[in-house]
Amino acid sequence: MGKWASSIFFTSGSGSLQQFRWAGGFHFSCFDFFVGDSFPPSIFLVMEECRAIIPTYEGEEHVVAAAHHMVKALMAKKKIMNRESKQLMIWDSGSKQVLEYLQAVEEVQTLKESLESLSLNGGEKQKRLLRQAESILQIAMVRLEEELLHILRHKKQSFEPEFASFHSCEEVVVYEESIVSVEDDISEDSSRRDSNGDESKEYTIGLINPEVIPHLKSIANVMFASNYDQEFCQAFIGARKDALDEYLGILELEKLSIEDVLRMDWGNLNYEIKKWIRAMKIIVRVSMLRLLNFGEAVAIGQHLPEKLFSLLNMYEALADLLLHIDALFSEEAGASIRIDFHKLQRELGDAAGATFMEFETAIASYTSTSPFPGGGILHLTRYVMNYIKILTEYSNTLNLLLKDQNGEDPEPLIEAENAQGVPSQVVCPVAHHLRSIASLLESNLESRSKLYKDVSLQHIFLMNNIHYMVQKVKGSELRGFFGDEWIRKHMVKVQQRVTSYERTTWSSVLSLLREDGNSGSSSPWKMILKERCRGFSIAFEEVYKNQTAWSIPDPQLRDNLRILTSQKIIQAYRGFIGRNSENLSDKHIKYSADDLENYVHNLFEGSPKSLNNRRK
Amino acid sequence: MPATEYQGSFLGRISIRRNQIASMDGNHEQDLEDLEIFQKHVADRFSDLLSASDATADASVDPLLSIAWLRKLLDVFLCCEAEFKALVFMGRDPSHIARPPLDRLIPELLERVVKALDVCNAVTHGVESVRHWHKLAEIAVTALEQRPIGEGQVRRAKKALSSLVASMTVEDKESINSKATERAWSFGRRGSKDRIAGQFRSLSWTVSKSWSAAKQIQLMLGNIAAPRGAESTGLASPVFVMSIVLSFVTWTLVAAIPCQERSGLPTHFPIPRQLPWAQSIIGLQDRIGEDWKKKEKKGSAGLLEEMQKMEKLGQSLIEFADSFHFPAEPERVEEVAAQVTELAETCRKMEEGLGPLQQQIREVFHRMVRSRGEMLDILDQAGKVSSPIM
Repeated sequence: MGKWASSIFFTSGSGSLQQFRWAGGFHFSCFDFFVGDSFPPSIFLVMEECRAIIPTYEGEEHVVAAAHHMVKALMAKKKIMNRESKQLMIWDSGSKQVLEYLQAVEEVQTLKESLESLSLNGGEKQKRLLRQAESILQIAMVRLEEELLHILRHKKQSFEPEFASFHSCEEVVVYEESIVSVEDDISEDSSRRDSNGDESKEYTIGLINPEVIPHLKSIANVMFASNYDQEFCQAFIGARKDALDEYLGILELEKLSIEDVLRMDWGNLNYEIKKWIRAMKIIVRVSMLRLLNFGEAVAIGQHLPEKLFSLLNMYEALADLLLHIDALFSEEAGASIRIDFHKLQRELGDAAGATFMEFETAIASYTSTSPFPGGGILHLTRYVMNYIKILTEYSNTLNLLLKDQNGEDPEPLIEAENAQGVPSQVVCPVAHHLRSIASLLESNLESRSKLYKDVSLQHIFLMNNIHYMVQKVKGSELRGFFGDEWIRKHMVKVQQRVTSYERTTWSSVLSLLREDGNSGSSSPWKMILKERCRGFSIAFEEVYKNQTAWSIPDPQLRDNLRILTSQKIIQAYRGFIGRNSENLSDKHIKYSADDLENYVHNLFEGSPKSLNNRRK
Repeated sequence: MPATEYQGSFLGRISIRRNQIASMDGNHEQDLEDLEIFQKHVADRFSDLLSASDATADASVDPLLSIAWLRKLLDVFLCCEAEFKALVFMGRDPSHIARPPLDRLIPELLERVVKALDVCNAVTHGVESVRHWHKLAEIAVTALEQRPIGEGQVRRAKKALSSLVASMTVEDKESINSKATERAWSFGRRGSKDRIAGQFRSLSWTVSKSWSAAKQIQLMLGNIAAPRGAESTGLASPVFVMSIVLSFVTWTLVAAIPCQERSGLPTHFPIPRQLPWAQSIIGLQDRIGEDWKKKEKKGSAGLLEEMQKMEKLGQSLIEFADSFHFPAEPERVEEVAAQVTELAETCRKMEEGLGPLQQQIREVFHRMVRSRGEMLDILDQAGKVSSPIM
């Protein structure tokens, strides 16, 4: 079917309409083949029916792509259905078969997804197709579940000899605990029983052979992508539980009730206890090794900023537990595990430290070539401030880690005091780094602001962002690290930006409203006044047009600026109009002061408005 | 013992009394009064349980043997146990306790406690099985909530539900044999639609093949006898009350939650039916016993209300799945939707309640361990222990 289909497809193309027809018809026929298993009917079908399945894509390329897609899904279905009749497990049949099967499943999955997103507009045929895809997907999922269980059951790790040797030396220790000589004989017997058993047995415990992990991952990925994660988890967990049960059986742990144990005679009890101790140690060690492996894997991973909190959590968890680990593995045989976990803690600490540094450098490199629309708060600003806010929760740990990293303190660990002798800021590695992070952010903001052509907008942008930083510091644990001095300084900066904004926006406009001692009703003066008035209106309109689109997210700041504008500009205008009322008639005054008051309220809303074309 | 577990006035009274008569032999009248109060509290608590399970229109009521009701039952047990200890042991001279008939009755009670401990362990594991079934039910709910209902999702739901129902109805005995588990695992039947794809959890996870919950209950009930004559006014009575309460709670847990070997579970309690404080217990026991007899024939996994619902709804939905052809008739779809909603609600209750239930069972376990230890200490002090105590 495949070859025939592609030959029709590629030899047809004379003119796009023709291609459309062929593609459409082909699409439709593939659909029929997909849904049923019969040979497709004639390709020459009514266009309406083709259009029914082909959604409102623009352009024939999409149609072509859709048709191509159908071919693949078709072949996928064939593969999946064929597999059902075979006896051999897919994963035993070689990696090529595996790959093909997984690709087939992904094809059907993709088809299903694209149909789902179209199903709102789709007609009956499309819905049927979707159902079919789901049906085939379910068959594939059942199959994959079987494969998963097969792999888990039959590909096990063989027993590591390290455990066997530990076991035999441990027996000697327990020996010495038995007190009565009579019981020595019993325990001697039982231990002989034990060691004989161990030497001859080849334990295949349920540890997963590392070779099969990629297989498990590929099955997991496919099953999760198809929303069959519940089935995967059930199967996986079930298999692991059974493996553990089997393993406990190998350890010959009897299933004893409490009543049984209470009634037991000392000889048997001693024997059971020894088995218990052995089992505990082996299981605990096995689990510990697994945990160690995972921890190491995380520690050597990429130093992405978002990983920092996880690393710190792991570090802290481990720090709490190391005492217990040391106690658990206090004897000689456990030394390697102890050492490994201490090492892991150091590695996690280093990774956390390095990630923190990466974060700092990342801030400087986070640039853009286009200005942030509306002059509002950058995502970077929010991200960085929230990030360091959370970091304060880990300040104790971080201080330790950063101290180790730098070797020596960059600044002595003292508390600077203000005049009243109250500590006004804490100087520790974390505080030092947080303040440098803030500086880096500020530099970045400065450069970003230069991207705005309008100088007023530069000021608004910086005002917004620095204000945000100040608010975040004031309202959180960061206050302790930055200190009141920093807050004060930056509030001053915000104020400076406000002032600069006022100046750049309005100073030239304000000069229009100054009379410079002129007065009277002379004709030229009247002309000047009219011109001034007109000029003011135009300037105001211009500002209005631009600055309604600007955004000041903080409500208080927004109100402040509006009030400021109102006080300085509108009042000046009001005065101007009032003083020159004889010289200016209504038709010269486009806007009343009250009108302007109202318009000022629209400034900095973030949605552009315009006052043009307004006639009185 | 936390004072909050019993009425303030009761505690106040016995502590004053104890201080007054610490060196004396024990005020007989005071004992009688205390015993009556204890019995009344027991009666009240179980009466609450009985009325809480009455199927009325009140939506906040907890059906008999639902997770919520069982949790209440365990709370009641802890309260009764605390009161019992205060009544019998607090402030008394140990030698007073080691006299007949207590020197025989207390050790017997402690033997029952040990059996109850084993039952707690078995039942804890049983709750794990219930969790497993809950997850299967959730798969079915997810699948059947899709609209429109297609063959793929229906088959998916059916697979999960078949596994659920099958493992619920398998006889306990089969679960012991690990070979059975292996068989359930095999993939020989490719293409067959109703296999149990190795999801079945063995109930013999924690207990040996020969352990039987039913047997343990039988033994617990075996030597309980109501005190007669002069003994009925002494401390033998509260011990009898506590033994009944302990046995009843243990028996209820076994009836409700899957655990190994419940065939032969006794449905008759050796309580004289005219005892006033025991009326509610007898009432509950009768009801649960009836339900048990009905279900035993079908080999059901347990009377837990949520489990029963899952089984019933599961079977009904399997039937729907078997007869499903696309498109389903709207009335059918509506019917199924209602059942799926009910199943989803049951799942939600399990999601919320199974964890706390397990925790409570552990709490009961630890409390019994502690109390047993305390009682053994007291008996040791008395030094009059004649036979080895368990």
